[in-house]
Amino acid sequence: MPDATKSHQTEEHHASESHSLAVYVAEKERQPGERTFAFLLILLGAFGYYFALDLSSDSYSSPSVFPKIASVVILAGGLISLVRAYKRPLAATAQNLLSYLLPKKVLMLLVLMVLYCLALPYLHFPASSFLFLVLSLTLLYRGRHFFRLCLYSAAAVAILFLLFRYVMLVILP
Amino acid sequence: MLENLHYFLIPFTNWEVMILIWAGVFCGIWLGAIPGLSVTMAISLLITFTFSWELNNALAMMCGVFVGGVYGGAITAILLNIPGAPASVASSLDGYPLGQKGQAGMAIGLCTTISVFAGFIGVLCLLTLAPVISDFALRFSPRDFFLLGCMGILLIGSIGGGDPIKGITVGAIGVLVSMVGMDPETGEMRYTFGSVNLMGGIHFVAAMIGLFGVSEALIQFRSENIEAVPQNINRVFPPLRLLKKYLPLGLRSSVLGVIVGALPGTGGDVAALLAYDQAKRTTKNPEVAFGEGAIEGLVAPEAANKGAIGGAFIPMLTLGIPGDAATAVMIGALFVHGLRPGPMLVLETPHLFGMIVSMLFIAVFAMGVLGLLSVRPFAKVIEIPKNLIMPLVIVLSVIGTFAIQNSLADVVAMIVFGILGYFMRLYKYPTGPLVLGIILGSTFLDQNYRRAMQMAGNDLGTFFSGFLTSPLSLFLLIFIVFMLFSQTRIYRKLRGLE
Repeated sequence: MPDATKSHQTEEHHASESHSLAVYVAEKERQPGERTFAFLLILLGAFGYYFALDLSSDSYSSPSVFPKIASVVILAGGLISLVRAYKRPLAATAQNLLSYLLPKKVLMLLVLMVLYCLALPYLHFPASSFLFLVLSLTLLYRGRHFFRLCLYSAAAVAILFLLFRYVMLVILP
Repeated sequence: MLENLHYFLIPFTNWEVMILIWAGVFCGIWLGAIPGLSVTMAISLLITFTFSWELNNALAMMCGVFVGGVYGGAITAILLNIPGAPASVASSLDGYPLGQKGQAGMAIGLCTTISVFAGFIGVLCLLTLAPVISDFALRFSPRDFFLLGCMGILLIGSIGGGDPIKGITVGAIGVLVSMVGMDPETGEMRYTFGSVNLMGGIHFVAAMIGLFGVSEALIQFRSENIEAVPQNINRVFPPLRLLKKYLPLGLRSSVLGVIVGALPGTGGDVAALLAYDQAKRTTKNPEVAFGEGAIEGLVAPEAANKGAIGGAFIPMLTLGIPGDAATAVMIGALFVHGLRPGPMLVLETPHLFGMIVSMLFIAVFAMGVLGLLSVRPFAKVIEIPKNLIMPLVIVLSVIGTFAIQNSLADVVAMIVFGILGYFMRLYKYPTGPLVLGIILGSTFLDQNYRRAMQMAGNDLGTFFSGFLTSPLSLFLLIFIVFMLFSQTRIYRKLRGLE
C-alpha cells in the first residue's frame, strides 16, 4: 500500500510537471535587474517610435507605419513586464546584480570573445582562434592540463581550418 | 500527386544527395546528443557553410541535420536527463528513470524503431496534404498573409510554457530590427543613422547565430561542468514482442504529432507533451507507473515529435509559418537559398517540394539505422565535458557569421545579439520570436500589410472592415484572438486550469 501511495504521488508530481510545461505559469519571484531590463525595453520602444517619426508618413501604407506599430507593441510589452516585475518580490536566493548578470567566468569569456573579434583582422583566423581557445580553456580548467589543452586547441583549429577553407571553400577572417 | 511521386524518386538516384543526407543525419544525431548543442544551433551554423553549395546538396544536408538533431535530443534526455531539444522534454520524464534502471539500451532502441514508423507517417502526410493546403492558400489575400505572419510570431512566443507577453514583445523587437536598412518599396532608409554598414540591414543569420549559438554557450558557462554518469548499454535492438506491444500507441501518437505539428505555431515540443498526457490517460494498467520509467511514457512523446517533423513542414512550406524555433531557422535556410516558403513554393516548384519530402523520408530511414548503430558510442560522446565544447561553438559561430558576406560587421552584430540573447534567457524571454520577427518582419509582415492597405485605398475603415467581410480573414482573426485569449488567466480559470 505505501508503494501504491508513493507511485501515486510521483505520478501526481509528474502530472503537474508535464502540465506546467505546456501552459505558462507566471514566475513568483523577480530576478535582480529584471526591472531594469523591462525599463530598457520601454526605452527601446520609445526610441523606435521617436526615430520612426522622421520617416515619411503621408499615408497608412507609408514606411513609418510598421516601425511605429512594432515600437508601440514593445513599449506596451515592456510596461506590462515592468509592472509585473514590481509586483513580484525579489528572489530569496538573489545575488547582487553584477554576480547574477555576469559571473566571473561568463564575464571573462565575454572579454576574451570581444578581444578575439578585435584580433581577427590583425592576427587572422588560425592564430587568433588558437589564442582564444587556449586562453578560454585555461580559464575554464583553472590552469590545469595546460599542455594538453594547447594540443587540443591546435588540433581543433587545424581541423576547422582545413575543413572550412579547403573542403567547404569558406573564406575565413 | 503522380508528378510529386516522380520528383520524390530523384534523390534516390543521386548518390551525392544521398551521402549528404546520411552525413547530415549522422552530424545531427551527434550534435543533438551533445548537451548544450541543439538542432537550432546546428542549422543556424550550417546555413552559412552551405551558402555556396548547390541548392539540392544544401537542402539534403539541412534536412538530414534537422531530422538527426530532433532524434539526438532524446538520447541526452534518456541518458542524462538533459533534453537536447524542447521536443525531448517530455521524453525525459520516463526515459531518464528507464536509463537509471539500466534499460537505456532497450529504451533508445525501442524509441528509435518506433520513431522511424512515426517519421514515415509524418512525411506521408506532408506529401499528401501540402499540395492541397497550398492550393487553398492561393485564395489568401495580402491581408490574410499579414494575419498569418502575426499568428506565427504570436504563437511561437506564447505556446510551450513561456510568458505570452514576453514572447509578443520580443517578436516586435525582431520586427523592429528587420526594419533597419533600405525599405524595399520606396528606397527610404529606416533606422540606419547614416551608417553604411546598416544600409543593407541586419542579416538575420548573424542574429540567429548570436541568439542560438553564442548566447547558449554563455548560458552554459554559468553552470558548473557536470560530469556524466557512465552508462551500461547492453541490448540495443528491441525484442519483437515489445515492438508489437507498443507500435499501436506509437502510431496513434505519431498521428497526434502530425496534427499538432501541422497547426501553425505549434511544433514537436507541444506535440510530445500532449502525446505524453494522452498516453497517460489512455493506458489503463502500465507495467510501471508513469514518471518512474513507463515505456509508454517514452514511446508516446518520441513518436509524436517524430510525426511532428513532417507535420511542421506542412505550414512551413505551404504558408511560410514555422512551428517552433528549429523550423523558423529552416525557413531562414530556405530564404538564404533564394526560396520563398509559401503556397507558390509547392505549386511553382513541385520538383523542390518532392525532393524535400523525399530527403526527409531518406533522413528518417537513416535516423533509424544510424541511431541504432550509434547507441554505444553515444554513451561515450555525452561524457565529453561541455567546457571543451563551448569555446569551439564560439569559434564556429565566428566562422559561420563571417562567411555570410565576409564582413566583420556581421561578426560584431552576432556578438551583440549573443549578449542580448544571454540577457533574454536570464530573464526568461524566448529567443525564437525575435529570430522569426527578423525573418518575417520586413519581407512578409510589412510588405503584406502595406499591400493590403493599398488595396483598401489607404482607408482605415475599409482596411478593418475587410477583416470582417472576408470569411478567411475573419476565421484567421478569430483564431488569433482565441489563441491569445487561451493564454489569459480568465480562460485558464474557465477551464479549471488555475
